[in-house]
Amino acid sequence: MNNIAFTVALPLLAAFLLPIISNSSKSAARFIGPFVLLAMLGFSLAYFNMLEHPVAIALGGFRPPLGITFHLDNLSLLMASIIPLIMLVLWPYANIEGYREESLLLLLAGSASGLALSGDLFNIYVFYELLSVASFGLAAANRTGAAFAATFRYLVMSGLGTVLALTGIGLIYTQTGTLNLAHIGLLASQLNNPAGLSAFALIVIGIGVKAEIFPVNGWVPEVYSTASPRISALLAGLISKLAVLVIVRLLVVAYQGPEALTLLLVLGMLGIIWGELSAWRSKDLKRMLSFSSIGQLGMVLVAFSIPGEAGMVAGIAMMLHHLVVKPGLFMLTEHWNGSLNKLAGAAKSSPLAAVLFMLFALSLIGVPPFPGFWAKLLLVTGLVEANTPLYLTALAVLLSATVIEAHYLMHTAIRMYSKGKKKQVKKLHQTPFTLTIISVFAVVLITALITMAPLGNKLQHIAAESSDRALYINTTFAARHTPVRKQISLIKQQSKVQ
Amino acid sequence: MNQLDTLLLISLITALISGLGRRHQLIGWATAILLTVQFLALLSISSLGYGGTVIESAVNLTILGQPLSWRFDGLSWFFALITIGAAMASSFFAAGIWAKKYKKHGGNPGLLQFAMSLNVFTMLVLLASGDLLSLFIGWELVSWASLLLMVLAGGIATQWGLRYIVYATAGAMSILAGIGIIYHLTGSFAYADLAAAASTFSTTHVVVLSLLFIAGFGVKMGLLPFHLWQAGAYAETPGPGSAFLGAISSRMGLYAMLIVVFQLIGLGKMIAVEIPFTFLSLRDLLMWVAAFTIIFPTYTALRQNDARYLLAWHGIGQGGYMMMGLLLLDPVGSAGGLLHVFNYATNQAALFLAITAVVYRTHTADLNRLGGLVNRMPLTFLVLLVGIIGLAGIPPMNGFVSKWLIYRSLIIEGMPLLFVATVIGTLGTILSVYKLIHNTFLGQLRLEHEHIREVPWSMLAPMLVVATIIFITGFMPGLVLDWVASAQAALGFTPLAYTLGGVETARGSLDMIWLCGVLFGGFGVGALLFYGGGNKAKRVHQLDNYAGGHFLTADTRYHYSNNFYAGLMHHIGGWYRGTFKWLESSLISIVSLLSGLTQILFHSYHPALFLLITATLSLYFFIG
Repeated sequence: MNNIAFTVALPLLAAFLLPIISNSSKSAARFIGPFVLLAMLGFSLAYFNMLEHPVAIALGGFRPPLGITFHLDNLSLLMASIIPLIMLVLWPYANIEGYREESLLLLLAGSASGLALSGDLFNIYVFYELLSVASFGLAAANRTGAAFAATFRYLVMSGLGTVLALTGIGLIYTQTGTLNLAHIGLLASQLNNPAGLSAFALIVIGIGVKAEIFPVNGWVPEVYSTASPRISALLAGLISKLAVLVIVRLLVVAYQGPEALTLLLVLGMLGIIWGELSAWRSKDLKRMLSFSSIGQLGMVLVAFSIPGEAGMVAGIAMMLHHLVVKPGLFMLTEHWNGSLNKLAGAAKSSPLAAVLFMLFALSLIGVPPFPGFWAKLLLVTGLVEANTPLYLTALAVLLSATVIEAHYLMHTAIRMYSKGKKKQVKKLHQTPFTLTIISVFAVVLITALITMAPLGNKLQHIAAESSDRALYINTTFAARHTPVRKQISLIKQQSKVQ
Repeated sequence: MNQLDTLLLISLITALISGLGRRHQLIGWATAILLTVQFLALLSISSLGYGGTVIESAVNLTILGQPLSWRFDGLSWFFALITIGAAMASSFFAAGIWAKKYKKHGGNPGLLQFAMSLNVFTMLVLLASGDLLSLFIGWELVSWASLLLMVLAGGIATQWGLRYIVYATAGAMSILAGIGIIYHLTGSFAYADLAAAASTFSTTHVVVLSLLFIAGFGVKMGLLPFHLWQAGAYAETPGPGSAFLGAISSRMGLYAMLIVVFQLIGLGKMIAVEIPFTFLSLRDLLMWVAAFTIIFPTYTALRQNDARYLLAWHGIGQGGYMMMGLLLLDPVGSAGGLLHVFNYATNQAALFLAITAVVYRTHTADLNRLGGLVNRMPLTFLVLLVGIIGLAGIPPMNGFVSKWLIYRSLIIEGMPLLFVATVIGTLGTILSVYKLIHNTFLGQLRLEHEHIREVPWSMLAPMLVVATIIFITGFMPGLVLDWVASAQAALGFTPLAYTLGGVETARGSLDMIWLCGVLFGGFGVGALLFYGGGNKAKRVHQLDNYAGGHFLTADTRYHYSNNFYAGLMHHIGGWYRGTFKWLESSLISIVSLLSGLTQILFHSYHPALFLLITATLSLYFFIG
């Protein structure tokens, strides 16, 4: 039953072996990456299908709260399946020379699935660090001066963030004496004090660097506009969501109080305002998309700050929607980079790409019947149901931001459809390869649109499961076949002995 | 699969066919014929227009636990009739020779037909909506479909389209907030639940919801102060598209407002809501908004020098009449408001098509570059004449009937000030439509227009049909009042007691058949006296006239068009201050300023500083 560990171990192993294999056979090295990703996909999908109720797996034979735990529920397995899937789509197949990027991508894949599956804070921290290292390398993979400068900015912020997050984790340990999430959940009452809440704040801000949370996202526009579109797509689409997932897990198991939710709500609201306003003014498609991504992550955060299942379902919906749409948009910048003014005539040069841009843009604005609308509807009803002045303010912010979003996205679309100079238009041609990648995301979006009814049910099921705190705790400790209360006393004894 | 589903399916197929075949030569005719099929399908459920029961669609969806349903009642049928009718007229007009010329000048007639048929489909979906969620979906579909129609001309039209979509999105978000609040209060999106719960709403809820919905739906109607987008967006659409948009598009706002604000939340409650520090109720306030929506845009229309803009500005003003009539809430006023939707649609379609015909021949809609076309394009002149008589609300055309009903109701309900306001609006309408017909068709023909001829029959036929409808429904308003009464019943108003010739109430009657009889009889008597007295008519050549006492020779053509109504403008010119434009641009400046400030964060050299500041602040939030 421990095969799921392969989704972490295989890519990590492959990442380290790749340079060696590449020395002996370049063609073999080229196939290893996709093969490993396919294997990861197979494992996680198999588990996803088998899963009837959440399962906790203790690796290495140590039982919780000791040892490494993987928490498998619908949400974590969904993310674990999405990771290889999106990586397969964005894999640098055209890259014949070198293995660096492939190796880093595999490292990213392994640490990302570790992050998605882990059930304790220590492992989450370790995988998060690994993830950071891989993403620094990838962000600088262009090897241009601008990319190095941007990555340095990213590195400084991320490093400081990690220190803060580690402090937070340490604080939690001093309060509860454990790092296992389920165990923290059991002892959640001990975190409902200034020290416990400070730990949460430190972790949110620390991990928030990757989740593009306001205001620790100063690196976002620089990195996304200098890195290659594939990497921007990965960072904005996938990695930010995994960081959010960590925060959400903590929120569910230990921080159900209004203080923690208020912090998220305020940060999310500021993120929306900052992101959308900055995007409105930006003159470059890549920068515009990165600012819009900050705004969207703000919306995700606002969604998760709604208490209960309503917030969870809205948050997951917003998260998954952004995960599909933003990579598609970023891939468009492969050939449509530079100033927005230069985009005139783009629609004539690549009609399909312009149509896909419209599709993504409409969904992002939340025009029915596209999936983005349903996500936004969940968010709106959730905010209204929460019904405090602060949540209603967030609603007003969200709706006003949508107007600004509609303006800059349509402004861009209109530029694309306007007439351009012949010489420039030629440069705007999208290659069939890029178009295929973008189309994959569009197909996913349209499939979601068609299957909205069953998809919605599944989503609500996932949300119900992952917002259930008791279920999360019981899943881990049920492995002992002893009543939970007994476990607690046992644990207390153990800690006394120590 | 019942008749309603058939109608919606045909409409969808029309949009798909004209979308896929938009490069084909015959797509214009195919779309026009398919629209006719839609019209027939609509006629197959015409029982709705005569008091029939609601038809529910067989299609039901449940998404995210929310049921979605669609249905048609008398009100939907009435609006659908106008929608498909306007689309048919525009589509037939655009299908033939007009399309060839449009294509020659770089346009894409197939895309225009596709955009129109898509608009029709989305409008039908909106009209069929059976709960708040499907209403919102329909609403957004209509908004974005009309964006396609507005921007397809390219160039300046895209700028207007962008302006439109910002307004429209703001409106949609206001509606979404309203729907969200209703969901919170009632726990569902169903109309029935809202209607049942509405009586328990507190005054605050009624006010907030009404304002959210009226602002949201009002954006599409061009209700003040949300009207700035409309004239340009409609005017810059290719001719037949303007006719279609002008005739029906902004009425979708009225339809949605009728359903949500009038029918479900209940406008009766707004009479009870007093606005602090004034003697007005919420309804009075809305009526004054309607009155100003009549006056300001109409007098803005008066100043336009482009025929298309002039007509489009009138569209905003006429929406005010409809709103005013319906806000009166009595049988006469509400019938007037609804009847004006139909009448105005026919007038505007005829006028825009006639102006498009003029543009087709002369390549300009500039009122300073036209004149004297009456000899060259007599039938187009006739259509325009019928249209402006209708628009100005003068007998015997249909526009008179609906305006008469609204005036009548204003007097019966005892609102003299509002009556004066609407009359001021009508005065502006008469002045500006006279300017329109004078500057295009009267006066001396310009030299460069000597060679032009009447437009071909493929364009004339739809125009003449619409003009005939304007006259017939003016002569026998009872034909339309049938449908209006069904729509009133669907909305919960007491239907108007009507006859074929008009209305018969204890406090005043109108019989158009009798009135037209007197009018034409009077002309007949006059002609008899004239010719019977042995007089002969004398034909005067167009150039055989004087100006300021000087005889004008044939080689210096003269037509007074520039600075029209100079005397009037001398008195009211100072009132045009562009306040709304100023408001709009200051809003943009504020957003621009704020976004400049937000970008400072991302331009900072020390982003890590923000990290530490935030960490400190949030620690303070939890500990301090």
